[in-house]
Amino acid sequence: MRSVLLLIFFSVALFSKDLTMEIIKEVEKKPLISVEDASAAFSDSLNKKFFKLLVADLKVTSHFNVDERYSSAIFDTSFDFTKYPNNDLIVRFELTFDDFGNLLSRVKLFNIKTSEIAFQKTYKINDIKRYPFLAHKIACDINDYIGAPPVDWMRRFVIFSRYTSAKNAEIVVSDYTLTYQKTVIKGGLNVFPKWGDKNQRTFYYTSYERKPTLYRVNLYTGERKKILSSEGMMVCSDVSKDGKKLLVTMAPNYQPDIYVYDLKTKRLKRVTRYPGIDVNGNFIENDKRVVFISDRLGYPNIFAKSIESSAVERLVYHGKNHSSCSAFGHYIVYSSRETDNEFGKNVFNLYLISTKSDYIRRLTATGVNQFPRFSVDGETILYIKHLKNQSALGIIRLNYNKSYLYPLKVGKIQSIDW
Amino acid sequence: MRNSLMIGLFAAALIFGGCAKKSVELETPTEQTQQVEEEQATTVTEGEGISEVSPESGTIESLSEQEKKIQKMKVIESEAKKIYFDFDKYNIRADQVENVDFDAKLFSRDDAKEFKIRVEGNCDEWGTDEYNYALGLKRAKSVRDALVARGIEKDRMTLISYGESNPVCTEHNKECWQKNRRVEFTLLP
Repeated sequence: MRSVLLLIFFSVALFSKDLTMEIIKEVEKKPLISVEDASAAFSDSLNKKFFKLLVADLKVTSHFNVDERYSSAIFDTSFDFTKYPNNDLIVRFELTFDDFGNLLSRVKLFNIKTSEIAFQKTYKINDIKRYPFLAHKIACDINDYIGAPPVDWMRRFVIFSRYTSAKNAEIVVSDYTLTYQKTVIKGGLNVFPKWGDKNQRTFYYTSYERKPTLYRVNLYTGERKKILSSEGMMVCSDVSKDGKKLLVTMAPNYQPDIYVYDLKTKRLKRVTRYPGIDVNGNFIENDKRVVFISDRLGYPNIFAKSIESSAVERLVYHGKNHSSCSAFGHYIVYSSRETDNEFGKNVFNLYLISTKSDYIRRLTATGVNQFPRFSVDGETILYIKHLKNQSALGIIRLNYNKSYLYPLKVGKIQSIDW
Repeated sequence: MRNSLMIGLFAAALIFGGCAKKSVELETPTEQTQQVEEEQATTVTEGEGISEVSPESGTIESLSEQEKKIQKMKVIESEAKKIYFDFDKYNIRADQVENVDFDAKLFSRDDAKEFKIRVEGNCDEWGTDEYNYALGLKRAKSVRDALVARGIEKDRMTLISYGESNPVCTEHNKECWQKNRRVEFTLLP
């Protein structure tokens, strides 16, 4: 009898705990940071541009509340805390040149809550045109100081092809904001650039010669090696994680299909055999499967298949026009035209799906949103947005549900990789 | 003897001169491995040493042979009719069949028979990168197959897609997009 009473008591206690359990949503407070410019005024307003870029970088991390007001200071004086009553952090930078023409940035980060200088560093870059990378590195270091998840994707290059005239396009390397730009291939139609290794030392691209021809280029030595050519079209759509295999779209019999090319054995393995259009292959799920675009339903849509088997799985069940995608792990981001005829509004939105579930999330709401590309850690998506005759580079921070836009003046982009 | 030697030297100079690679700026980026200490300069190396790559000379076919026939080819090319397509489609529309018939007769003419035909597929600006290039290729293939059915030898034709890279109209309206969704022809010697 006593044990029965005890059992009843514990049962009641257990259920009452469940019933009274509260879920407290903890809203994390982001540190408020201000940026001070301690540079002498540059004739080309470089210091102002640098300020804007650093502010934008800190915002894009999504880890700070950023005070966007421009503020100047003298580098070696103490901070005026009365100007920043609610701040957690103040960062002060000073741009100068050294005797060798290097651009220097002295940086001081002050933690108001602990009343101490968090760090003081000098950053250097030997070509003033590459100043955006200085700002990105400083933003990464400030981000690391507060212990936030790394944002090292900021320091990676973007590579893109832009049209310069009819049948002419050049390959350009840039920072993630497309502020820094360096043309690395020009003359003729040069399209579909794709990074060849995780360190971004090499890239692939297609040159239109007698046949479309795929080349691999070492960015630092300028070495250019012919890889493949095909009648009709030739595109390197993706590179395996180890850099040893390529997913290419080619058309040896004028029939665009997806192939895996083994760079070591130089063997081509045909992955798709549909007589319509199969393009834009991306490795997924440890490079065992491929997600791709096909018109096998009469309109472009997203499909997946194992490289070794023939069964094809349809991945998207909404809309009538999904003609571009990019993959990371088992996540796929794609651009969807919201109307399927030429007389409808030209709205292209980005969607995120998973191959493991029915998960779907719309990432944009207005305009023409194209060329989505995952960051190297899969947490950020870069894309190009056109809205009312204006173009912008968009950054979506998936884990924070935030998106940011940088105004662009780069001409018409053909293809982009990050 | 002396003349042949001179010609030989001249030819060798041309060959080696023609094949020489253009110089490329070499600069190995240094990796930052050390922990940055206060007041020690952190070198940011992103973008250092990136060089512009020029395609090697000698890869583009000499045009000298084409120049002899270029005038004749241009005249025939200018007579050819373009074949237009519907949005996102690569089947030949009923109203374009007479243009295909016309082109088949044109390319069968005695003065055109000596030339090869490059069938070029083009798209409007609304497809996205790879898909648009594939769509252009399928349009070119549809026209090639229609010409084969009208007696043009398959081996005379090569196909290429320029995707959206070769617009004839650059305004952003429906009339313009319709003009860009086309197949056109270039004759080759």
